[in-house]
Amino acid sequence: MENRETRLISGKGQYADDLDFPGMAHLVFVGSPHAHAVIKRLEVDKALKVPGVLTVITGQEMVKYTNPLPVQANFKSKGWTWRLAHVYAMPKDKVRWYGEPVAAVVAEDEKTARKAADLVEVEYEPLAVTGNALEALEPDAPKLYDDWEDNKQVHLKFDFGEPETAFEEADQVMHIKTREGRVTGLPIEGRGCVANYNLKKDTLEMWGSFQTPYLARHNIAATLGMPEVKVKINAVDIGGAFGLKIHAWKENVVALASKLTGRHVKWFEPQKDFIVTGPHQRDVFWEGDVAFKNDGTLLGVKATVTHDLGVESTNKGIAALSIFPACSAVPNMYRWKGMHIEGVGAATNKSFYCAYRGYGKDKGIKFIEHALNQIARKLGMTPEAIRLKNYIQPDEFPYHQINSYVYDSGDYPGTLKKALDMANVDEVRAKKEQYLKEGKYIGVGVISAIEPAGVAVPNCQMGGITQARVQITADGTIEVHSDRTEIGQGSEASHAIIVSNILGCNREDVLVKPVTSDYIGQGPLSSRGAVYPASAVAKAAKILKKKVSQCAAAFLKVDEASLVMEGGLIFSSNNPDEKLTYKELAEKSYFFPGPRGLPPEILKNHDHLLDVTTTWYSPTTPDSGSSYTSFCTSADVAVVEVDIDTGATKIIKYAHVHDAGTIIDKQIVDGQIHGGIVQGIGEALSERLDYNEKGQLMTSSFSTYLIPTAVEAPDIEVAHLETPSPFTETGSKGMGEAPIIGSKAVILAAIEDALTPFNIEVNESPATPERVRSWIVAARKEQEESK
Amino acid sequence: MTDGHFRQISFTINDRERRLRVDIRKSLAEVLREDLGLIGLKQGCGVGECGACSVMVDDVLVDSCIYLALWADGKQIRTVEGEARDGKPSKVQQAYVDEGAVQCGFCTPGFIMATTSFVEKCKGKNVSPGDIRKAHAGNLCRCTGYQNIFTAIEKSIESD
Repeated sequence: MENRETRLISGKGQYADDLDFPGMAHLVFVGSPHAHAVIKRLEVDKALKVPGVLTVITGQEMVKYTNPLPVQANFKSKGWTWRLAHVYAMPKDKVRWYGEPVAAVVAEDEKTARKAADLVEVEYEPLAVTGNALEALEPDAPKLYDDWEDNKQVHLKFDFGEPETAFEEADQVMHIKTREGRVTGLPIEGRGCVANYNLKKDTLEMWGSFQTPYLARHNIAATLGMPEVKVKINAVDIGGAFGLKIHAWKENVVALASKLTGRHVKWFEPQKDFIVTGPHQRDVFWEGDVAFKNDGTLLGVKATVTHDLGVESTNKGIAALSIFPACSAVPNMYRWKGMHIEGVGAATNKSFYCAYRGYGKDKGIKFIEHALNQIARKLGMTPEAIRLKNYIQPDEFPYHQINSYVYDSGDYPGTLKKALDMANVDEVRAKKEQYLKEGKYIGVGVISAIEPAGVAVPNCQMGGITQARVQITADGTIEVHSDRTEIGQGSEASHAIIVSNILGCNREDVLVKPVTSDYIGQGPLSSRGAVYPASAVAKAAKILKKKVSQCAAAFLKVDEASLVMEGGLIFSSNNPDEKLTYKELAEKSYFFPGPRGLPPEILKNHDHLLDVTTTWYSPTTPDSGSSYTSFCTSADVAVVEVDIDTGATKIIKYAHVHDAGTIIDKQIVDGQIHGGIVQGIGEALSERLDYNEKGQLMTSSFSTYLIPTAVEAPDIEVAHLETPSPFTETGSKGMGEAPIIGSKAVILAAIEDALTPFNIEVNESPATPERVRSWIVAARKEQEESK
Repeated sequence: MTDGHFRQISFTINDRERRLRVDIRKSLAEVLREDLGLIGLKQGCGVGECGACSVMVDDVLVDSCIYLALWADGKQIRTVEGEARDGKPSKVQQAYVDEGAVQCGFCTPGFIMATTSFVEKCKGKNVSPGDIRKAHAGNLCRCTGYQNIFTAIEKSIESD
């Protein structure tokens, strides 16, 4: 069978924008030019008069025909602040962020819909804008939601271990402040879908860029007030997701449009809309104290992280949920006595927060890694020395971290040492003086990180649900189903490898099916692919292998224990000449088992059906409360040169050592590492969502929101360690996020090291050339003044 | 010959002559995708920034989303669909598969045309990693970090 990659290089991809159905209508949205305003009047008559326009949907229709967006995460009961807003897919009377859709025009073709969209007349009464999290928490800040006391959406408080003892035992305490800018994941493809409501059957089917079809079905059915059984969601080829396509938001409007017009309705989002009205991330302020001993032993942290969440997430509660990992990731891979971490989330007039590679884990780790570098500098230690002193050791696994995470396996010192060797750190440092004499500002950054992967949190839609099915069809080809959509992270290839390895069948005979809502699961998010779905697939294949053995032993009249399955053949080691192909086995099992049929014990148990559906759940989460099952580790070492005249940073060397447990496919893992690292580099150096004082987003295109191009991407050297996870079926760990966690921190650390002569603490990202220049100018001024 | 918003033009598309009546306001990307069903090229940004719609017009790589279909009159167009020969992927296409340069695949058709154009232009010349990077700076990829794409490009040059 033609594999996915061969299909895609031939131009045979079927992405949302490629969907075409006879009589398909097109939908486009009309966005608000204001960040906060009352909708005084909304006239659609002129738009409706344009020939070819079928209907115009506004907030009025959403309120009339649909329910508010459903709650996806709820932690109200814990004695924390946890507020959710009552919002519809489009608002009726008030807009709360720039670009918020207020109307959707449906027409025979997209051009007509766009023309008519320009004729939708809206009269707004602008309101005061709440521009950032710190402003939003001021007592007199304009409120976003009338029924909330203030703009504070979330306030979580965690005590890990014994924070008070930690600070009592400390020789020193250091105050640390960091700030991360607002970014977005920005796959090259925006979101899109086609909805078809069948009037006769009262059913709804949708096709599109759904990262999580099962959750999308639940949420769309709830919004439209339809029973879930009447809704089916199909994922098509997805042009990148990174967490940004777990949505069921504008999709509700598309579904309603189909219901109201009785037509297939397509919506494909322009890239600008994806940035302006898409999920955002980061945008946090950290402030706190770190306690340690004079010899570099780490003891404790007391810190607060304040998030600018934007408006209520269209995945209601999921934005707020990302504050949990931000707080819980702070201990990273070190031994601690205790921590008190608070996570605050404020609602502001910006686009909503949702999942993006990292989902908070990155924030906690970036903060603590920055703190470690400051402490090391103060104590005259190298960044690696302080880490090696505090690492959890290879013989301590499984390790119960103070935050309840159960670390599965790893070799933290080995990982870091390897990365330091690869980057020739000693050599670079030895030449630093010389470089400075030549006017070259060269710096070395060192970061190490765990990647908590495979999330399962109760009280939300990320509870750890997953389902997989492996079936040998009657012609011996094998189909695999799961909740793990292919978003470019190699789901299909990984599952085919896992199944063919277990069954000993040919990989090209395994077809991993596109994901639909027919299979239960929360999809590939939080690097759960190699944890939950892959484990479920492996488990199903192992059960199926037993069935294959039973049937094959009966047909070959041999002892089951003597069976060998390899290269697509099944035979007894006692009689290798008599072989069954999978085709023969399947045909016999299903249709031609011989005159006496299969043995009665197989038939009675219905075991002759070569089809297994199963589920998988973490062996550690239920007892420990650890919301993650596997902990991939990585070490990043970067060497950069900062041009102090332009403020530009050039990456000279980049080394990354990765331990994702047992590797299913090295090329896929390497691809994830490369991609994550370069995304992190973008975040560290150039990507920024900048809003003006009116709350309008100023960076809404590829020419203003600067993701790395081929020119900025450095050569990346990757090496692997493999310490298998004892907690997953394959020994693999979830991966894909560690690279972005490490890279966005290591570049800043390297810049800080390069700017040592100026004594600059690089605690703000992105480190754009302008910003680096401003630091240098300020530092020089300070140095001159102190002379 | 113009008739209202329409004009009769002809071009060669993947070695096939086509005469068609095009809307003079349409981009080449729209005509290829909507009128000719060549959906291999992707519309990413629609404003010539991402390169997902890259095709070759008279051997020059263009962003077909900001190139009027009208301008292609009398020219030769190549798209990703025409690169395979006798059912076999081109060297560039095969290198992208072999080197793991395809992740989500959305930018891939544009990249394949960019690499094809680059490899053909560089035939017999020495090419530096910097040349490779610059030649592909107009094609954005968010998944691969470009590393495996670079390897695929190098391999395409070697095998050419």
